[in-house]
Formats: sequence, C-alpha cells, structure tokens
Amino acid sequence: MPGAYHRLIRLSQHALLSAYSIFSLLPFLWMVSAALKRPQDVLTVPIRWIPPVWQPQNFLRALLEPRFAGENLARFMANSVMVAVITTMASILLSTIVGYGFAKFQFRLRDTLLWVMLSTTLLPFSSVIIPLFLIVRRLHMIDSLWALVIPFALTGQSIFLARQFIITVPGELLDAGRVDGAGEMQIFLRLVFPLLGPAIVTLGITTFLTSWNLFLWPLVVLSSQERFTLPLGLSLMGLGSTFLVDYHLWMAAAALAVLPPLAVFFLLERQYMRGLEALSGLKG
Amino acid sequence: MRRIQLAYQTKFGLLFISPAALYFAGFWVLPVALAVVASATDWRIGRPAHFIGLSNYAGLVSDPQFHHALLASLTMTGIALASIVALALVLAVALNDSGLRLSRFYKLAVFAPVVTDWVATGLAWQLIFLPNQGVLAGLFEGVGLSQWSSLRWTSTRQLAPLAVAIFVVWKMTGLYTMVFLAGLRSVPREFQEAALMDGASATQVFSRITMPLLRPITVFVVVSGFVTVIGLFEPIFMLTGGGPADATRALPIFMYETFFQFQRAGYASAAGMVFLAICLVFALLAARQLPYSFYE
Repeated sequence: MPGAYHRLIRLSQHALLSAYSIFSLLPFLWMVSAALKRPQDVLTVPIRWIPPVWQPQNFLRALLEPRFAGENLARFMANSVMVAVITTMASILLSTIVGYGFAKFQFRLRDTLLWVMLSTTLLPFSSVIIPLFLIVRRLHMIDSLWALVIPFALTGQSIFLARQFIITVPGELLDAGRVDGAGEMQIFLRLVFPLLGPAIVTLGITTFLTSWNLFLWPLVVLSSQERFTLPLGLSLMGLGSTFLVDYHLWMAAAALAVLPPLAVFFLLERQYMRGLEALSGLKG
Repeated sequence: MRRIQLAYQTKFGLLFISPAALYFAGFWVLPVALAVVASATDWRIGRPAHFIGLSNYAGLVSDPQFHHALLASLTMTGIALASIVALALVLAVALNDSGLRLSRFYKLAVFAPVVTDWVATGLAWQLIFLPNQGVLAGLFEGVGLSQWSSLRWTSTRQLAPLAVAIFVVWKMTGLYTMVFLAGLRSVPREFQEAALMDGASATQVFSRITMPLLRPITVFVVVSGFVTVIGLFEPIFMLTGGGPADATRALPIFMYETFFQFQRAGYASAAGMVFLAICLVFALLAARQLPYSFYE
C-alpha cells in the first residue's frame, strides 16, 4: 500500500520514536554535559548543553578524590566489578548445571518445580528482604561482599534462561556420550557445556547487569565504606547529605557508573535481547 | 538407548537440579517461613520475642500509616504502570516494521535506561526535578512556560508521586517495549497479509487480528509489571525518601523503616507477609500466562 497514506504512517512512526528517544536519552546527555562543566555552569536557565569551559578532569576528581570516610569512587567501582564478575561466573556454572537437569532428564514433578522457581522471579525482592537479612546475619555474612554474591548466583530467571537454551541441544549427542561410557557429569562438562557459548554470553550479561545495579540489598547488608559498591557509594552523594554540593562531580560519578552497563549493552545488544525474548517465553 | 530408565533419569535429574533446590530452600522457603513465625511475635531487635498470634496483622488493619503506604503504593504503581503499558505497546507497534530506517538506533535509545542503575540515574533526575534551576525548569523556560519552572516536583504532596512515577516510566518502559516487540514478532505475518489482501485497513488489522493475538503477552506485562513496580524501593529512596509528609511512603519504604529504623522486626515481618501475599496472587496470575512456551 504505497502512497500518501503509507508515507503518513512512516512519518508518525518516526515522530513518535524520535520524541521518545529524546526523552529516553536526554537525562544521559545532560549528565555527561554536566560532568564536563565548571560547577557554576551546571544549573543554569536557559540550559547550556555545551560546556562553556570544558573540565574533563572532573572525571578523575570524581574517581580519585576521597569522599565520606576516606574512600574514593575507584574503590567502590573495584568492589562492584569484583562482586559482579564473581556472581556472573558462579551463575553461569550453577544455572547451566541446573538448566541441564531440567532440560534433559525426566522425573516426577519436574515441570511443577520449574514453574515454581520461575514464579519466584516475579516476586519483588523487597518482600523477603527482612528475613533474608536475618538469615545472612545468622550466617555471619553481614558486611561481607559474599552476602552480595551468594544469594544472586542462582535465580529462577537464570535457571529458566539456561534451560531454554539447553533444551535445543540434540539428545543423540548425549546418547552417543553414554554409549562411549562417559559419566553424566562428564557428558555435561565435555559435550554440553562447550556448545553453550552464545547462551553463556546472554546469561552472563543478564547476571552482570543485575549484580552491578543492586542497591537495596547492599544498603541493608554493608556497613563499612571500604566494602561499598558503586550504587551505594553514589547514593551518599544524594540530596540531603551534608557534603558540599558539587553537582558537576556528582554527574561525573553518575556517568562513570552508567558507562559500563551501557557499553556492555551496546556491544552485546543482540545476545541480551535474545535472553529477554527467551525470558518472556516467546522463543526456545 | 534413547529411553534410558526412569530411575536413572530421576537420579541424575535430581542431582543436577539439587543446587536449585538448595537455593530455593535457603533463599525463599526459609525466609518466608522465618517471616511467618516472626510476624506472630512482638519481636524488636535486641529484645526477647513473645508469641502474640495475629495481633500484628490486626495492628496493620487498623494502622493509618500502613493504609497510607498501601494507598501510596497503589497510586504510584497505577500511574506508572498505565503509562508504561500504553507507551510500550505504541512504541513496540511503531518499531515492529522491518523497513523502518533508524530502527536499531530507536531500540537502543528506548532500552538504554533499563540497563543502567537507579542510583546514578536517580541523581540525574534529582537535578532534573530541581525547582527554578533544574533541567525541567530550564526546558519550561525555553518553551515559554516559565510559570511552571518553580514547581517543586519532589517536595509537594501532589507532585511527588507523579515525579516518582515519571522516573519509573523513564526507567522501565524500554523493558516492556521489547517484551511487546517480541510478542508482535511471534504473530504470524500471514494472518495480517491475508487480511490486508481481503481489503482490511491497517487499523482493522491491528484491532481485529494483532491485538487479540497479543492478549496473553499484554496480561503478562500488566501483571508482572504491577508486581515489579510496586516492589520498587530505589526510585522513591532516590527522589523523595518517602516524603513530603508520607506522600510517597510506599510499602517497600514502610517496611524498610519499620524494620531498620524502628527495629520492629515482628511488625515489619507481618507487613512483609501482606505485601508478599498481594504480589503472590499477581505472580501466579502472570505465571499462568507463561506455560504456553514451556515446550517449543
């Protein structure tokens, strides 16, 4: 259906999508612009999108200057990287093992169990945070970075993702392994796991982003500033704090915090979106 | 060999899923059981607990603070979710067009807020909402609406819930846009093409064919979106901290304060159980929409 009608539809598609894209990206653009400004140029009416005087050194100051009890943002960032990387690695191993069990073995109540675990991903974390805090306290993991790793190394979401990918591995391959006399764990590690490359990327991105962005849980379990993660360190800069209000450094710190997730997402967008589709249950 | 024994399958199947069983027991069953027990006591941190039956629940029923938290939660979730679902559906329909130029850019732009964290973006939104000198004020001045530039978005009772909802919409719409987009892609093109061939208009195709086929995914988005948004702590913490005068003191904030500030472990656990029960009903509704994809 060519012609004016079709062109009108196209035009309205572009109008809508570019308007929303501006809304979506504007906070990021303003954040980066403010991060490069002198303090007196940050909050001006009218807004100056291009810094009149460029101060790229704001990023270094935000990263290295000690804040609060002498810790700097670089320290918080290192903690965040450490927690996210360990969680991601543990999650890849654990979820593929469990996903394999759900995908390739028959046993009673299997689908019910999977369904129950999948349902937990729909429950808000904030609803169980109090008893979870009590358990972690009993385990003497309060104020330890392990408390940020262990509860998130296996989730209903990651199990379901792994299961959706592993179910496509042909059963003949496993049977061939069994004929050759390999044990079940060997079959998983030698035959199945190496085939999961793309799935592991998807699983890894999802877990990494979840871990990197955690806030409420670290807020509850961490108390020593040397162990703070990036979002927790950043939150101390928020309004209401008694620290000097240096908005240009806030925004430099915020820009540094959103950069890694955005970079991971832009570079691995296809894999990430595939995970999302698998999770919303539309593709195997 | 294809049909290996059931006992063997059960043994190794259970072995492989045992880490999940451990996790599920440790991080869902045990916490919920613990909270149920704690909710029947008058326990305050550092003091001995006494069994008081359902008094905490009775207390919640008559606690104006709790009513207020429930109302604040429903208000903010309602505003945010209605906007998210409407926007996500419209954006997904616009994006579901293989011939559209720039569609990759649009997708990245719409989704970008989803992958970033609430705190860093929350700091930016604090400054966006700042009266008189913030970004929004600057934009209002720019389009000649200077009377709006002094609006105190995060510190008036009427506007604070709206400000939180706007932040939530900005952060989450991309996620549900992609879920809808995946749903639209699974609608077979032949149906739409056949209808177009028979002389149906684009609007008719959408309302009579695409929309009905999207029903399960729409229900899923509404229900899982409700549970996700009502459980959010971060956007409120970052913008208003529950204020002004309780206007945004939603359930997650109420529970957090009852427990961590007032140390009322028993009462906070009871509130948590009520909250969990509300979410569970919705989660079960949403999960019922999922099984259609369990087997390819």
